[in-house]
Amino acid sequence: MRIKVRKIGKGLHPNEVVVEVQTSDGIERLVVDRRAIEASSLSIGDPLREESGKLLVELPRETMSGAWRVWVKRGTLKTVNAA
Amino acid sequence: MARLGQTGHAQNGQCCVILTDREIQIAIRRGLIKIHPQPTSDIVFSSTAIDLTLDSNLRIFDPEVVGVEKIIDPSKKGFNSDLTVSEITHAENIRATGYLLKPKILILAWTAEYVTLDIGTRIAARVEGKSSLARLGLGVHVTAPTIHAGFEGQIQLEMINHGSVPIRLRTGMRICQLIFETTLGTPERGYQGQFLDQTAKRKKQKSKAA
Repeated sequence: MRIKVRKIGKGLHPNEVVVEVQTSDGIERLVVDRRAIEASSLSIGDPLREESGKLLVELPRETMSGAWRVWVKRGTLKTVNAA
Repeated sequence: MARLGQTGHAQNGQCCVILTDREIQIAIRRGLIKIHPQPTSDIVFSSTAIDLTLDSNLRIFDPEVVGVEKIIDPSKKGFNSDLTVSEITHAENIRATGYLLKPKILILAWTAEYVTLDIGTRIAARVEGKSSLARLGLGVHVTAPTIHAGFEGQIQLEMINHGSVPIRLRTGMRICQLIFETTLGTPERGYQGQFLDQTAKRKKQKSKAA
């Protein structure tokens, strides 16, 4: 699966960008390589859990608040067809 | 090696091991580990690691200004580590003559190689220093060496010269080594995808056989 992200700025390295992810608890920001972004989304594997319509996912990098796992609404995710 | 990237738990006690040079090369061939540019020579390997090289981009921490007190509060709500670092550092490119890393100075650097660890694999990695540089006092990371499955990008290095003499850093020099380990089981977020992938492959095989 992929998670929708929004680029909000440059990272420290020219190939890095800062992106925002909309979580159930607010915005989380993380730095990723710009080549990892496709169609404004990042690959995150599969959701870990579902509760009350929310999905627990693990982001590809640690966010600026130190989190790896965040709860998101289903609409924040995009399905990728299996090979 | 046969069990790398497979689902389920480890068997026969052959789990959680460091990959040898042969296993790393097999994992690269199978696409479980991607390194770009791909290593073209065996000399970048050692028995249990692969060397990575230094990118030309650096972030240099600005010197302290006398009388100005700066304090970082990482647990404050809305803290933005990247913005904070960008405000107390400046970008610099390593010139042909190299960059002189003075003693006790911390800089941020990156590997030139773009590394991808597939989410569905049972492989994680650790970035470590090279003994030839360590004995000069050069540290290449500050306590955060783990590269998780699903990572992709150039690996950031937090470099500090613990020695007493400046060290000249050059673009492309061997700067760190990457040690790959197999994990006990597949991470939760990779498990289902892998199952789906295998199911799809089995269906393909069945339809071919039919």
